Formats: sequence, C-alpha cells, structure tokens
Amino acid sequence: MNLLIIGAAGVIGRAAAMRMAKRARIAAVDRSGDGARGLAAELARSGHRAFGYEADVTRGDSVAGMFEAVGRAIGPIDAVFYSAGLYWSKPFEAITEADWDAMIATHVKGAYLCARAALPQMRDRGGGAFVAMASDYAVAGFADNVAYAAAKTALFSLIKSLAQAFAPHGIRVNAIGPGLIEAPLLANGTSSGSWQGLRSHRAGGVPMGRLGRPEEVAAVLDFLLSERSSYLTGQIIHVNGGELTG
Amino acid sequence: MPPKHHESSRPVVIVTGASGGIGHAVVQRLLDEDYVVGGWDVAPANLEKSGDPNLAVARVDVRDKKQIDGTVAALFERFGRIDGLVACAGVYQTMPFEDLDEATWDVTFDINLKGAFLACQAVLPAMRRQRRGSIVLLSSTLARIGAARGAHYAATKGGLLGLARSLALLAASDNVRVNAISPGVTDTRMPREHASDADLEATARTIPLGRIGRPQDMAEAALFLLQHDSSFVTGQDLRVNGGALIF
Repeated sequence: MNLLIIGAAGVIGRAAAMRMAKRARIAAVDRSGDGARGLAAELARSGHRAFGYEADVTRGDSVAGMFEAVGRAIGPIDAVFYSAGLYWSKPFEAITEADWDAMIATHVKGAYLCARAALPQMRDRGGGAFVAMASDYAVAGFADNVAYAAAKTALFSLIKSLAQAFAPHGIRVNAIGPGLIEAPLLANGTSSGSWQGLRSHRAGGVPMGRLGRPEEVAAVLDFLLSERSSYLTGQIIHVNGGELTG
Repeated sequence: MPPKHHESSRPVVIVTGASGGIGHAVVQRLLDEDYVVGGWDVAPANLEKSGDPNLAVARVDVRDKKQIDGTVAALFERFGRIDGLVACAGVYQTMPFEDLDEATWDVTFDINLKGAFLACQAVLPAMRRQRRGSIVLLSSTLARIGAARGAHYAATKGGLLGLARSLALLAASDNVRVNAISPGVTDTRMPREHASDADLEATARTIPLGRIGRPQDMAEAALFLLQHDSSFVTGQDLRVNGGALIF
C-alpha cells in the first residue's frame, strides 16, 4: 500500500508513519519540508521506503504538484491520511477573519483539495481509503474555539458525503476523532512548563484519567486502513478515553 | 485447602449468544487469535460440536442471574482471568405495533438488554480488580433509525448504547473499556426470518458499499475493540454498516 500522510511532521502524523511503515510505503508531506524529509530519512534508516515532500495543502496548485511528485516517487496513492492541523484557543469575539479563513483552509479546504486529487485516481484503480483527523468537536460544540469546531464539523461532513459518493467504487472514507492526545498542538506555543500543567489539569476531565498517546491514534488508523474495517465507511471513531461518549 | 490459582497465559473472553450468526463469528475469530473463549448460548449445540480445546461451552440463559454469576465464577476459577465480554445474545420478532404484546416486550427486554446488564455486572468486578478488560455490546443501526415493526427491539438496542456509555464512564478509571457495535443488516438467521433473498438483495443495492454485512465484519470490529489497538477508545459505538447510515 502507498500511503500519503498530510501533516506528517506533526506528532500524530509521525506516529501514523511509524505504525504504518511496516506495511506501507509512506509519502510524508508537511508544510515543513525539513520535517517531512527528516521523517522520511528516519524511516529509510529503519529500512522502510519513504518519501518526504513540502507542500501547502490549502492551495490547489501546491496539492497538484505534490500528487505528481509523490506519484513519481512511490507510485499511485492507495490511501490518504489527512492530519494537517491548526489549533488555538480564543473567545469568539477575538477570532479575526484571517483566523477563521486559516481554520477553514487547513481543516476543510485542504482535505477537499487532497480528496479531489486522490479519490478519482483511486476510483480508476478500483479502490482505496481516505482517513481524516477530525476531533470530538466534529460532533460537539466548543465555546473556547468556535472556528475549530465549525471547521472540524465541516470536515466530518465532507467525509460523510465523500464516503457515500465513493463507496460504490470501493473507496472507504472515515474520520478519527481524537480527544486529548499528548501533542504540542495543545501547547499553543506556551513553554513546556505550562504544557505539563495543562496535561495534568485536562487529564482530570478524561474518564480514563490520562491523555491519549499518539500511538493510540495511529493504531485506530491502522484498523481503518485495513481489510478488518472493510464494511466501515462514513464514520468517525472517537479516541478520547471516554471524554465524549458516542 | 485454598483453591489453586492458575492464570491462563491466553486472554479469556466470554461471548453470549455464541451460537447465533454474529456470536459464532466472534467466537471463531477469537479462537483464531488464540483467545480462550467462553461460548455461552441457550442452545449451544453447534458450539458443542467444535471440539476446540480453547472453547469452553456453557448453556446459559442470559435472563438467569444465578446461572450467569455461577458460570463466570467457574470460568474465573478455571482460567484465573477474564479479559473480555462480547454480548451478542438477542431476539427480534417483528409485528405491527398494535399487536406488540407485553409478553413479547418483556422477553425482548429481558434477553437483549437485561441479559447484557447481568453479564456486565458479573464480569466487571474481576476486570476492575485486574485493571484490564474490554466489554463489547451488540447494538444495531435500528437504535438510531428506528423500526416501525420493531419498536421493542430498537428500544432495547438504544438501551444498550446508554448502558455501554454509562459503564464506560464508571469503569474507565480502572482501565476497563466498554463500547458498542451497531451493525446494519447482517447476513444471519435474524434478517432471513423476516426477509427473502430478493428483499436482501434489494437492500444490498441501497447500501453504499453494495452488500449487506457479514458476521465476519462484526467479528473484526469486536476483535479490534477487545485488543490493545483500541486502548484509548471507550464509550463509543462502531457503526459497521457499509455506509447505510451516516450521521
């Protein structure tokens, strides 16, 4: 399987690459070229064929170029894991238009652009899979970040419709809804000291009493990209230690 | 003398309704993965033929608390651990709502919902002491979309979701996970009691993935929920329905 990971330099993207490298050739794509290529080099050192590429998936021309390059490097894409991320915490009144646009672009438009590039060619080749990182806030409201919840919900809606549209062509489309996962995305640029404080404060709200590990998200991805889930499409699997039951 | 405590090196999972379509597929899948399986059913003849040394067959009526408690205790005595429970026991008789009598309502609730509650209550103490366990309850798409001729059934399946979520919250701090699976139409005796081959083929054509579910699809979902790969997944409902219900 040739797997394209968008946001590969992030903590979740990286965990996904590490998990999936055992059975997939990885194309690691990220806004950070160094991050993507660094990850690919690390995988190559462990004997896994991988390719790193820098792209801004919020732009159609960048996505087109990326697909072309990835196709040349590892072959046609069988699966996509869309894990591009953007997160901050702001009261509603403080969200600017630029903030809003960036949220929608990163979480929704980028996913749409990648799906537009990937799904038709998967269809032509008889099947494939697309998994997007959504969030618990794809289904729940979030006062602290109205834009994030709106974007993630829009992303999940995109997933559901794509699932319906492409199921007859053997392509499964699903989402993963992580809760609180140990990831710098939550740290919001604050120092590691306050990140530790955030960890213990927020973990108290999780029924399992801890944050999730990136590997626990990667394990769910592995399930969604395997024949074990061959009858599962258009769904979201929440990985949140019970913080939001569904 | 105190009983000798032997702990099996293989994880032990109880499956109720183990003779039925989905239950049997779950049993088979677990045996293939080297689990020890406690296969429970009210009519376990097909299990008794198995001869698999890792399958402990028990004739259990899930409405009988004493029987459930006794069988769990015997299993724990023999294997020293209980790692999972997959509650598949269920009955479904369709009829116009006006004809739905109290007796049918009661037996449906007693088997489908109360039976699951009793089984969960029997295994949870051991799992919480172990700080290890995973429970899977078989719900249904009908819990969310409803069934005009099966309000009783749909109500039990909705009830199972409430049960799963609540037990998930209760047991999370002890590292015991509880989830549900909601199958769509699955190729077992159950739908075939109400629908012809032609009906099921017509249904298949309305499903995005182009087929009705197979018991093996549900067995794979159950295995995923029992295993370490789902270690941060609790209180959830895996809707394995080929895209028939997406919301």
